[in-house]
Amino acid sequence: MSESSRVGPRMSAATKARPADRIFRLLSTSAAVSIMVILAGVALFLIVRSLPAILANWQTTPELSTGPTGGFASFFSYVGPLAFGTVWASVIALLMATPVAVGIALFISHYSPRKLAGFLGYIVDLLAAVPSVVFGLWGILVMRPFLLPMQVWLNEYLGWIPLFSGKVTSTGSSILTGAVVLAVMVLPIITSISREIFLQTPKLHEEAALALGSTRWEMIRLTVFPYARSGVVSAILLGLGRALGETMAVAMIISPAILVSFKLTTEGENSQTIASNIALNFPIASGLQRDALIGTGLVLFVISLAVNMLARLILNAKPGGRKLWVRPRTEPRAKAIAIAAAEAGAETAIDTSQRSPAGRS
Amino acid sequence: MKVLRFGRVAAVIAAGALALTACGGSNTGASAPGAGSNSGGSSRTESLSGTITAGGSSAQANAQAAWTAGFKAQAPGVTVNYDKSQGSGGGVTNFLAGTYDFAGSDAYLKPDQAAKAQEKCGPGGAVNLPVYTDGVAIIFNLKGVDKLQLSSDTLAKIFAQKIKSWDDAAIKADNPGVTLPSTAITTVTRSDGSGTTQNFSNYLHQVAPGVWTSPVSNKWPIAGSSAQQGGSGVVNTVKAGDGTIGYADHSSIGDVKAASIKAGSTYVAFSQDAVTKAIAAAVTPAKTTVAGDLSQDIDYTKLTSGDAYPIPLISYDILCTKFKDAKQAKLVTAYIGYIISDQGQKIAAKNAGSAPIPADLATKISATLKTIS
Amino acid sequence: MSGSGTLKIPATRNRLTTGQLPRFASLYTLGVAFVLAAAVMGLIGFNAFGLAAFTSVFYLILISALSTAIENRRKAMDRFVRGLVTVAFLLALAPLVSTLWTVFSKGIGIISPAFVFTSGGSPTINPNTLEIVSSPGALQAIVGTLEITGLATLFSVPIGLLTAIYLVEYAAPTFWLRRVVNFLVDVMTGIPSIVAGLFAFSLFSLLVGPKAFSGLSAAVALSVLMIPTVVRSSEEMLRLVPADLREASYALGVTKYVTIMRIVVPTAIAGLATGVTLAIARVIGETAPIFMAASFTDAFNGNPLNGPMQTLPVMAYTGYKFPGQDIALSNDQAWGAALLLVALVIVLNLIARIIAMIFAPKTGR
Repeated sequence: MSESSRVGPRMSAATKARPADRIFRLLSTSAAVSIMVILAGVALFLIVRSLPAILANWQTTPELSTGPTGGFASFFSYVGPLAFGTVWASVIALLMATPVAVGIALFISHYSPRKLAGFLGYIVDLLAAVPSVVFGLWGILVMRPFLLPMQVWLNEYLGWIPLFSGKVTSTGSSILTGAVVLAVMVLPIITSISREIFLQTPKLHEEAALALGSTRWEMIRLTVFPYARSGVVSAILLGLGRALGETMAVAMIISPAILVSFKLTTEGENSQTIASNIALNFPIASGLQRDALIGTGLVLFVISLAVNMLARLILNAKPGGRKLWVRPRTEPRAKAIAIAAAEAGAETAIDTSQRSPAGRS
Repeated sequence: MKVLRFGRVAAVIAAGALALTACGGSNTGASAPGAGSNSGGSSRTESLSGTITAGGSSAQANAQAAWTAGFKAQAPGVTVNYDKSQGSGGGVTNFLAGTYDFAGSDAYLKPDQAAKAQEKCGPGGAVNLPVYTDGVAIIFNLKGVDKLQLSSDTLAKIFAQKIKSWDDAAIKADNPGVTLPSTAITTVTRSDGSGTTQNFSNYLHQVAPGVWTSPVSNKWPIAGSSAQQGGSGVVNTVKAGDGTIGYADHSSIGDVKAASIKAGSTYVAFSQDAVTKAIAAAVTPAKTTVAGDLSQDIDYTKLTSGDAYPIPLISYDILCTKFKDAKQAKLVTAYIGYIISDQGQKIAAKNAGSAPIPADLATKISATLKTIS
Repeated sequence: MSGSGTLKIPATRNRLTTGQLPRFASLYTLGVAFVLAAAVMGLIGFNAFGLAAFTSVFYLILISALSTAIENRRKAMDRFVRGLVTVAFLLALAPLVSTLWTVFSKGIGIISPAFVFTSGGSPTINPNTLEIVSSPGALQAIVGTLEITGLATLFSVPIGLLTAIYLVEYAAPTFWLRRVVNFLVDVMTGIPSIVAGLFAFSLFSLLVGPKAFSGLSAAVALSVLMIPTVVRSSEEMLRLVPADLREASYALGVTKYVTIMRIVVPTAIAGLATGVTLAIARVIGETAPIFMAASFTDAFNGNPLNGPMQTLPVMAYTGYKFPGQDIALSNDQAWGAALLLVALVIVLNLIARIIAMIFAPKTGR
């Protein structure tokens, strides 16, 4: 995907003879292959375990028509609402977390005093390490009562919006509370990686932009953002991965039901997530019920696959999205910065045909 | 509540007194008095050594911890690992896979599981031993109300969400003389599958079939409640809210208020004694093909006497009738024997809040234990 | 700079010397915003969070308006974004500080040398009162966490890092293996932790028979979760190493292997260390896979190859979910375990930073 890596294979021809090189190459290739083996193992395990439950007739199999899996016509009518809930909770969480996370990363990398930056980065890294159980406990103890009045307010005054309708929660165990806690959990992940990438923006670009009279924000928009776009998307995807698979905190905070609901502030109509559903019901489940739960795990697998592919599509669809920083120091780019800075500084006529590329490349 | 506390204190004193006698007995090599004395004698357990790996039901967890400590005092060479994080399903699954020496489970083995147990344990199969009994407490938190009485019908209506506020006529009728606020009712239920839910929904199904039309299930079948993880989640949420009502194993409710439930014509508060009486009155042996199996069905409609708590629950320890390793069989039977011994049940009652099992059940269990090899 | 050819020099007055807000304008504006917010709070009822929110909103509006009026549109935008970013930071800091404070204040009560250096969980019975006496202790969980996470790191960092090196340095962009591995790593990030635990347990059941619970199996489960995180973050960091560094190295006749080990990895080491720390942080707090694969025990077990092991997150989780008869003590132990876990991560994080500092080349930043 990147062109920096194209350097590799071309150069390796010259160094073929060295044994250390060959061993190292072999090592790293086998590491890559081992990932395939591990994943194949997990996938095989998931498929083999879940197939009996997926193929079974849920209405006539006594084991599946009772207990945690009871009341559903088939595997798909069981997993459908769960899949929805998983994506729904993660999307709300990411919508809240992403802008804030990018903001913090920028603050640390480009706004805070340099001496403070290291310390602030350290704090955020630490927060990524707070285990989800603790976030769950904190959510129950602090966030549930804290967000409760706000949810009652939203329901009372904005109840005409479907999102806030329904019987408002009285204990705070709504999907909104859960999503806020999820957002706090993914925040450090997105922030840490974004920050690291923002810091890698070539100094020359930044200085060039500043020298041409850009304000700090213009400098960031022109040099940092285009350079960091792919990395930030990766960071968001990692955050999404954590949000999708988050188990304990969600299980501890949200009061779930297996149904499709967009309501944010109720406690009886929250869509359950797959991971939390597995954690909550696995201990009591037996035999085929366990297989069915593992089958939902397979679906979570597929969901994260689809989300990742979608993100890649979006990334590649943007004109020049990924290629931006590959040839960072060539003429057109410097030209663009100059034009943009000049445009901004002079606020006067520039050939309009030049304007459109200025923001991007 | 006060009555209940006093009851506990009394039980503690009684337990202490009995313990002294039990101790004196064991020094001379004789066994503790009471029904379960047969295999729990310390003279035989002192020489035992080894590790018992078990797990399952979290309802039993505190009792198992107490039993482990008590057993350790008698058989210092034995380590018992009881994994409470697995749950009943996990316990049975691991038992059927051969990982566990015995499983703790809130439900006895279903026919297909029993068949699998025969593959694992040999033709004798596995026995379900009801070693732990407790009651499902109906806990509530309502400003200004300290004592609550509920009939089974009202209880079913509340949990089926057919009654929505605390000043409903049905609740008023159960609580004459109590001023009930118009606070909305929030029912707090378990979000995870659990034996407590199974027992409670079974109770509602049996005693109020007209109101409770949902299935009996170990997963709460009705949406619209505040579903919380684990008994502790339910207890904490009920405690933190106002107008909340929920159900939990009595041993786990701490200082949260519990309602008295109507049995026959009187409202019965929870007490360990009332649960033991309820078990003795309500259980009928379940259909089984395994000799010595003691799985029980509870008929809640029989509980009308006024001194029996109407919602008792049973948890089982499940083990093979024939172990692959005779030494392991000795260890496990000694341990289970200790569990049902007088001291074992007293320790659990004192340290885990459970109710002692009725004497005749204990006798039957020790008879079964003798056949296990 | 050939682009400047299209520029026309503005005929109007030079904007570079236009008005500027005084040096402490932001501070004054903040003060005004605070007073306004306090006034609003006085009208609709006081609430600390509301106060902060209104202050931020008023500040952003005021500073933009002021700057637009006195300076210019561009500077206003700059000030607005600066304010916004700072607000984002403070907004995020609030829950994060609250979390840490909750853990610290709730957990510190039980922390003592005895709690850290003895292993609890083997309660004894007082034969006279039949009372169970258990001494709280977390040593078994600390040792379990260190061993299991350490093993998991030992498995995943080499595999993850080498895979990242393969993806960035060796594989051609269009090579099928690279595409497949890239894709699979994405898939792997989506494995629910509980499934990883089940997978490891099933694997070990196959390998060692029915009594498969062990710390090693938990470590394998954690590795499955950790590898994709390590690969993704390492890959991103390796890619950021400028191509000129590599080219310069090759031009000097340095072999590829040496280039990677001496140039590429050291340049990226700070980022790699952050990535690994994040990956450890991600798995060190896992509960579900650990009790699936390593079961649960209160007893001390220092041998990761055999028998159930306890870890700090499992201790925190079980202390909350399955409290003993003394609920308060169980909860205290849970918070104590959580605090120890956070403290442990702080230490690990520091170590990673020191390593990064030692190996990192001096850079401009």
